[in-house]
Amino acid sequence: MRSILTRSSPIVLAIAAIALLAAPLGCDRALPSPISSAHGEDDTPRRGGTLHLAAFADLRGGLDPTGYLDGLSLGPIHLLFAGLVEYDEHAHVVPDLADHWDVDDGGRTYRFALRTGVTMQDDAELTADDVKRSAERALHPATPNPNASYFTNIAGYEAYSTGNAEHLAGVVVEGRYVVAFHLTKPDSTFPYLLAMHTLRPTCRSAGDRYSDSWLPCGAGPFKLPPGGWRRGTSLRLVRHEGYFRPGRPYLDAVEWTYNMTALAQRVRFERGELDLARELTDADAGRFMLDQRWKPLGIVEADTAIYGESMNTRMAPFDNVEIRRAVAAAIDREHQHLVQPSRMSVLTQALPASLADDDPSFTGQRYDYPAALEHMRRAGYPYDPVTGTGGWPHPIEYILYDPGLDVLTAQLVQQDLAKIGLRLHLKTMSYAAFLTLQERPSASAMSPGNWMLDYPDPSSIFDPLFTTGAIAPEGSFNTAFFSSPRLDDLIARAHLEMDQTVRKVLYREANAIVCDEAPWAFTFGHHTFDVRQPYLHGFVPHPVWPLDVSGAWVDRAGDALERALGPGLR
Amino acid sequence: MFDARARARFTRNRSAVAGTAIVAALVLFALVGPLLASHGPLESDFAHGVGPDKMPVGPSAGFPLGADRIFRDVFARLAVAGRLSLLIAVSATLIASAIGAVVGIVAGYYEGKRFARVVSVDGILMRLVDVILAFPFLLLVMAIGAALDRTSAVTIFVILGVTGWLSIARVLRAKTMQVRSLDYVVASRALGQPVGWVMLKHILPNVAGPLVVSATVLVAQMIVADSVLSYLGVGIAPPTPTWGRMLFEGQDYYAAAPWLVAAPATAILLAVWGFNMLGEGLRDALDPHEI
Repeated sequence: MRSILTRSSPIVLAIAAIALLAAPLGCDRALPSPISSAHGEDDTPRRGGTLHLAAFADLRGGLDPTGYLDGLSLGPIHLLFAGLVEYDEHAHVVPDLADHWDVDDGGRTYRFALRTGVTMQDDAELTADDVKRSAERALHPATPNPNASYFTNIAGYEAYSTGNAEHLAGVVVEGRYVVAFHLTKPDSTFPYLLAMHTLRPTCRSAGDRYSDSWLPCGAGPFKLPPGGWRRGTSLRLVRHEGYFRPGRPYLDAVEWTYNMTALAQRVRFERGELDLARELTDADAGRFMLDQRWKPLGIVEADTAIYGESMNTRMAPFDNVEIRRAVAAAIDREHQHLVQPSRMSVLTQALPASLADDDPSFTGQRYDYPAALEHMRRAGYPYDPVTGTGGWPHPIEYILYDPGLDVLTAQLVQQDLAKIGLRLHLKTMSYAAFLTLQERPSASAMSPGNWMLDYPDPSSIFDPLFTTGAIAPEGSFNTAFFSSPRLDDLIARAHLEMDQTVRKVLYREANAIVCDEAPWAFTFGHHTFDVRQPYLHGFVPHPVWPLDVSGAWVDRAGDALERALGPGLR
Repeated sequence: MFDARARARFTRNRSAVAGTAIVAALVLFALVGPLLASHGPLESDFAHGVGPDKMPVGPSAGFPLGADRIFRDVFARLAVAGRLSLLIAVSATLIASAIGAVVGIVAGYYEGKRFARVVSVDGILMRLVDVILAFPFLLLVMAIGAALDRTSAVTIFVILGVTGWLSIARVLRAKTMQVRSLDYVVASRALGQPVGWVMLKHILPNVAGPLVVSATVLVAQMIVADSVLSYLGVGIAPPTPTWGRMLFEGQDYYAAAPWLVAAPATAILLAVWGFNMLGEGLRDALDPHEI
């Protein structure tokens, strides 16, 4: 260990101190100008170029659509794997690899006619056999598929998932290009489920069973070249020349750099080393939004994620519903919102604004300090705010990952809960360790919860987060380990129901249960704020997926010069 | 050790006096600062800490050094963090000094000697030092921290202490090699005094000067190490403030709210600067040529 400042020179150090103090002030300069597009505002798509992106963490979930997916892995997986159906710009499910589909048998059979001539990334033609093989691979009991519970309604799932059947009986190949999914009961959400990535067709090289060593390969617009993924560092996807949509994608490649702090991302974006800034700090987001040159390049997306405080209903003190209600009433959501006002919106129910129940009589969870104290009293742990006595007698371990937004919001929650006699002990850890512990039944009493919509329907929230079926000994998405027969029944009925009005009523009731029994204290909805360089064209935020750049292209002035002379000369 | 001549040399050294003043000021700030603050270090003030643009307010009467990202008083947090940083640095230095002194004196005393013509105590100890030095310091500290509960101040200073003694051991070994051949040490051994007694009674007092100097400089290094650990998120868990953690939390706002970075950075700089100047002043005052 060497001293940083050995033979101290007072003058030098004084200068250093002044510089240190002055530097931040000096850095409050105007943002640099956006880097112009080679062809101005001309919006004619052009092929070529690489899109450079970055993320604050590493891919935890890998690139297999059947495995664990987190918010970061979903971006590249969406580019690698096309599905039978997809969302259009209005979040409606439309055919993609399928040419069309029919619903038969009162909603129990979904029959898909595939497009012909679709080329997978291994140059083989997509057939109905690939759809069945991919579904069986994804739902095989040996596959670590946390989304398998979404597909229990496929006929024969139980026998297949328990190893009592060799094939998944409910997926039937009816011709080279026709495949049918038979369900045990009608399910209005099935098109949404198929739009998820879990059952998307994989290349034959994927085999019949899940394997860690497989090079991800599907029918999406981009493919993974050998050596394209350097774990912990970067990922490069290149254009799939055989993609079934003529002329798409426009980009030659998409590159991610991982484990890059928000600060570094902003600096590199300003220098043009990143083309799209997606993880700006709130302070930086505010600066870009206020700058007239950059403001038109900012993109505010819709809330697609919900945040809250997940309370383990199997562990004390949160096995007591009154304590959970107290927590839900004690958290001041307006204060949470101030942590990141440009990206947060106050959330008082399970559904984000895009799906929220607009019934004004629906109260949800609200900040109500006297009510929180009353719930503590009913729980048997009254707290006297004047003397600071009472409350739950033990510290409560609250796990969270560092760094992250949750470190700040958790400290506010800690302050709020201290006022009702709940003392949180914050325990920070890495993101991977956090997820592992949070998703185990008896590992943590409380943790920050967040969930990004898998598809734009309330079932995307309720099914994975709050139903009994979503509880697992490892990798449980139901991190509160909440189990309510009444809620399970409502969700099951909503699945069967084809009438959207009736479904809405059922989900309103489910929402009321979750808000009242409070496995989560809902805190805020979250949306992305992106800023693009002007030379990035055709980037339109997807209403569901975190990243869809199949229609984007880069038209950057000076790219040819840079390729010739190196990026340092820009 | 610190006789009148040494004191005179120390007080004539302006750099040493400045270092002492800085350290004293920091200690005073850490002790008294929280009492002067109008807010608790862990308490958000949404009534006064939020600016009109929903950003934390800058330096003002209520918030002398501004508010942080969740609207807490940076002044109060800086002072409390100072207590913790200084406590950790001094405690870690005491541990490191104790270990380093034992290893250095034993190694220096037995330098060149082999037991049973094979075992060299000095060789073993110094190779141990080499091996530990070969590990990147922060990586070693983070690995130990990950294996233990790294969220308490005690854990942090113990980790820093048991990994930070190497430089002191080397310095004291060299000094002991000089002292062991002095007449009074030789005479003491000739009189049959036990080795431990000789080390404690005759060698330790004569290597105390370099030990104090090294330890003083080491305090500065421990402050930096503690700050780096907190900055990297492997220090004491929030909401307890540390200078490194405050620096980390403020870095994203360095353009919009520069006080969030400037305050802890200046505190770290002053602490390191002060302890280094103090250490150098002590070294000059305790110049071995004039002992």
